[in-house]
Amino acid sequence: MPNAQFAVYAFLLEIAAWFGGDTLGDHADAHLLWYLVLHGAASLLLASFAILLLPPALTRPRRPVMLLLAGCSYAVPVLGFLGVLGGIFILRGYRAGPPSPSFESVELPDFDPHQHTPGGFRQSGLRAFLSNASAPTASRMGALVALQYVSGRVATPLLRDVLADPSEDIRLLAYGMLDNQEKRINQAIDEELGKFGTCQGEAATPAQRPTMLAAARRLSDLYWELIYQHLVQGDLRRHALAESLKYCRIVLRHEPYDAALMLRHGRLLHANSQLEDAAEAYYKALALGLPATRVLPYLAELRFDQGAHADARRLMNDLSIWAALPRLHPVIQYWNPQ
Amino acid sequence: MKRPTAREADIALLLEGTFPYVSGGVSSWVNQIIRAYPEYRFALVFLGSRREDYNGFRYELPANVVHFEEHFLYDDLPAREKPRARAGDEPAFEAAACLHEKFTSGAPLPEAMQAFKSVAHAMMPGGQLPLDDFLHSKRSWEIVCDRYRKYCTDPSFVDYFWTVRIMHAPLWKLAKVANGLLEVKVLHTISTGYAGFLGTLLHQQRGTPLILSEHGIYTKERKIDLFKSEWIRDNRNVFQRDPTELSYFRQMWINFFEWMGRFCYEAADPIIALYEQNRLRQIADGARPERTTNIPNGISLQRFAPLRAARPEKVPPVLCLIGRIVPIKDIKTFIRAMRSIVNQLPEAEGWIAGPEDEDPAYALECRNLVQSLGLQDKVRFLGFQKVDDLLPKIGLTVLSSISEALPLVILEACAAGVPSISTDVGSCRQLIEGLGDDDRALGAAGAVCNIADPQGLADAAVALLRDETRWQAASRAGIARVERYYTDDLMFGRYRTVYEQALARAGKGD
Repeated sequence: MPNAQFAVYAFLLEIAAWFGGDTLGDHADAHLLWYLVLHGAASLLLASFAILLLPPALTRPRRPVMLLLAGCSYAVPVLGFLGVLGGIFILRGYRAGPPSPSFESVELPDFDPHQHTPGGFRQSGLRAFLSNASAPTASRMGALVALQYVSGRVATPLLRDVLADPSEDIRLLAYGMLDNQEKRINQAIDEELGKFGTCQGEAATPAQRPTMLAAARRLSDLYWELIYQHLVQGDLRRHALAESLKYCRIVLRHEPYDAALMLRHGRLLHANSQLEDAAEAYYKALALGLPATRVLPYLAELRFDQGAHADARRLMNDLSIWAALPRLHPVIQYWNPQ
Repeated sequence: MKRPTAREADIALLLEGTFPYVSGGVSSWVNQIIRAYPEYRFALVFLGSRREDYNGFRYELPANVVHFEEHFLYDDLPAREKPRARAGDEPAFEAAACLHEKFTSGAPLPEAMQAFKSVAHAMMPGGQLPLDDFLHSKRSWEIVCDRYRKYCTDPSFVDYFWTVRIMHAPLWKLAKVANGLLEVKVLHTISTGYAGFLGTLLHQQRGTPLILSEHGIYTKERKIDLFKSEWIRDNRNVFQRDPTELSYFRQMWINFFEWMGRFCYEAADPIIALYEQNRLRQIADGARPERTTNIPNGISLQRFAPLRAARPEKVPPVLCLIGRIVPIKDIKTFIRAMRSIVNQLPEAEGWIAGPEDEDPAYALECRNLVQSLGLQDKVRFLGFQKVDDLLPKIGLTVLSSISEALPLVILEACAAGVPSISTDVGSCRQLIEGLGDDDRALGAAGAVCNIADPQGLADAAVALLRDETRWQAASRAGIARVERYYTDDLMFGRYRTVYEQALARAGKGD
């Protein structure tokens, strides 16, 4: 036991405080003084012993904890002494695990548009149905085929989910559908790359410039489409982002007042986690005359990503005064409960 | 190249779109089989789409090939002379209509097979149902119109009419081939489809025993093509369309190939698959379980074992996809994975070793993808290469296919001590990770990833290339697995029994 001597001395001093005063004769004041000094010293020694038995996390700050323990023993003679000792042993026996050092951060769940889209095609439950390997394959094939009439952005993640399905027919149909989507965009990219190359890229003559800029704009659109439809992931997504950004900047250098392209620039930077630059581009797009309903949702999302929730709420408030798109109403409502 | 001809042979191999015009796993296997039995005289019947799609032999014909003939199903389809009006033989068309009713109603296979027998007989040269009657007779027109009205959910009659013609016309060509084929004792088809249909016709007409060896599952591979094809029209508008149904013409093609497969399964005995999963699939598609069996591929250790000594000491950071550049190999996923691999391992290179002439449009797509991903310096198209030259120079073989059976290329890589990364298709997981407990105890000869998952493929490849110890362990596991389970001696022994039994049946008149 750590420094049990403290405890022994404290006990002996306390005994001396109670009974040693008799040697001082009948002087009541001397009696009291003797008791108070020795009882105080015993309390301090007991606190010195007790603090060593406390879990380390509870001994900081050291001096106030010591004073608290000593104070308890001093203020309530005998019972205070026993109370401190009892408390210490109870704490040792029943103490909880160490508290976590800080809050853990959890990933934000992905917004799941196919579970949410109101009206139109009823997609809720489709993901669950498609991934249910015990459902009849023919019915799942039918559900999969129906996805061809759903937008690529919604259909792609569902198709990708079933690429690892136990049924080969389902896997192959999903692959065929995904491949067709991706092929259409890549063919268009190849065509536009050809046109861009024919105009010698950025070294285009003034006569070639309109064709070159049109090709660059289309290329930025097409690479963005790959990202928007979730057709690329990981390094390929980063590559598509970089390419879209490259061609977007080429056009912006020649047409700096194109508000829609400025918004795209912002969204690309945003997707690339360059949040400050993205915010700047969003404000520029607003300044260039793009309606607030088109820009503010992205700006609010960006502020949310930055952790500036009050700003996000303010922006959504601003948005509510504009005639926002119907699909944004639930989001605006969420941020403005009143 | 000299084309041998003969009046008779022991075994006729019915080959659709493969040996000797196309290189690849199935062709190598055919080459192996013919050379393994010099005591048998082989006749080869090659079926292709159009003559212009094939440029010269990729393999030298072995000495025991005594006869070779080739037929192109979509050549000479247009009529050479002006058609004349014809009525069409009523009973023959009645039998054809009855057969189609059996397809539509999903009648039991033996019943449909019986109906098919009489139609097939009428389709033979000199029969009551010649091609001209199908193409130009009044009765034929009436049946087409009738079935369009009854069943077709697509509004375009013109598309329906031409789909029916294009789909059926090659069958008369096959009937002609069957009629003129030399005398053989045994028929061996390497797939169902058109080659299997030819085998079925011959089996019915002559009673010759028919062996079916399926590498991939033909109907499944056709389905892949059909799911991906964009030339099949869908003219239904939003009110005519059931969103859960494939376009009518696409479904028609799928049904057509499924029925051809069923007829072949009904005629063939034995029906051989490369591994258990495919055998079960054959049964699900209509094969009788008692006729099915598995004979896995095997390779020659004498050929590949010496390549291990030719390897450099340090593992080359080269990933090689050995295979034809066709959509089923999903070369684009390999190229996409290379983008990620190069980001993580800048010294890595991707090689694609395989002929590009089978699907030039797809090959161009792949090249364009390399360019649009900025990989011009990192991905090389090598064209057809000898595997023996290639294997000592590479660090990993990659197979990104969306469908495979039991790929020889993984076995060859294993035998040469090169680990493989493969998609989880066919028996690839079994080849890389092992099948039973004993097999699995040998360790993994590489890694397996999902189809169309470039990031997963890239991560698996980089993990192996970066960890020399793991790479060496994978190399040893691959060598041990091939030496124990996948040698050609075992395969040849089992096929010898198959041929001997079939020849014995032929002797007894089946």
